[in-house]
Amino acid sequence: MKGVSFLRLAAVSVFAAGVAFASTSHAGVAEGKKIFDSKNCGACHQMAGPAKEKTIEDQLAKKGPELWYSGSKFQKDFLKGWLKDPKPIRPMEYYSLTKKNTGNHAKLDAKSADEVAEYLMSLTSDAVKKAGITPKGGPKGRIIFEKKQGCYGCHEVTKGGNTVGGLTGPTMVGAADRLQPDWIYAYLVNPKVFKPVKDMPVYEGILTDDEIKTLAEYVSSLK
Amino acid sequence: MVGKTTYIAAAFVLAFAAAIFPGSTTANAAPAELNYKFYCAQCHGTDGKGDGPNATKSQPVSPRNHTSAKEMAKLTDQDLINVVKGGGAATSKSTMMPPFGKTLTDDEVVALKDYLRKLCNCKGN
Repeated sequence: MKGVSFLRLAAVSVFAAGVAFASTSHAGVAEGKKIFDSKNCGACHQMAGPAKEKTIEDQLAKKGPELWYSGSKFQKDFLKGWLKDPKPIRPMEYYSLTKKNTGNHAKLDAKSADEVAEYLMSLTSDAVKKAGITPKGGPKGRIIFEKKQGCYGCHEVTKGGNTVGGLTGPTMVGAADRLQPDWIYAYLVNPKVFKPVKDMPVYEGILTDDEIKTLAEYVSSLK
Repeated sequence: MVGKTTYIAAAFVLAFAAAIFPGSTTANAAPAELNYKFYCAQCHGTDGKGDGPNATKSQPVSPRNHTSAKEMAKLTDQDLINVVKGGGAATSKSTMMPPFGKTLTDDEVVALKDYLRKLCNCKGN
């Protein structure tokens, strides 16, 4: 009897280990990391958390956005498409006030783009929890985004078929396909985990939690 | 990268000044000029003329020109502190001016108020 139990336990353990291995090693992650490292992408993108910036000087020394939580922030299909054909997300160069972003980011072939996307999706942050945020357009969110706070003062949006708004923040055109809704909420309620020093105001404590949820739903609906 | 170079040059000058004049800046607070060039200049421009990159034609209002003594003299020092902390809504102005009350310390806001007064070379009425 003892022998049977031991065998059963061993079988369960082997199965569990197999499941764990499968869930932590998606095809392409290791290959993607290899490509990422070989192209020295880490020279511009911080790949291991937590955030290190303490001062404005620290933030300005960065050449590109940190990616150590990219799997919690981005949508996989967006990354796959973007890495093949990168278009500026920020109208200005990263934290520059004078230079327009010309979109001269490195391009990858389709296979490499898919693998690097898998690698980036494997980098997640515990600070992004399931908050149940789902895309939701409509007047409630739009009023917060456009009237209560002037978010489009820094973030472009589509309005009446035209792209309007400021240039220093990442564009919100296409946010629906680019960002994960729960990340938008996590970023608004706890921005310092992700970007301790940033040129966007902290809204936690200014907007209520309900308003932040509504805003995150609205932003995640922007096409 | 002119913008970044300007920032970094300002940061060095200010860090040097802070080293020479310890106590001239509050602990953990960035100097007002550096804060201005990082936060405010996005809309108001590096020199405060209201011509930052966010001052696009599609915006409903134009950022205030902080070098205009005529415009800035209309605001009291307390108005300036209120508007930096609470945004345009705090002084019945446009909400396109966002609130920095949870971003900057009170000391940093007061230092920014002083910096704004230097830019306009004016006092509040």
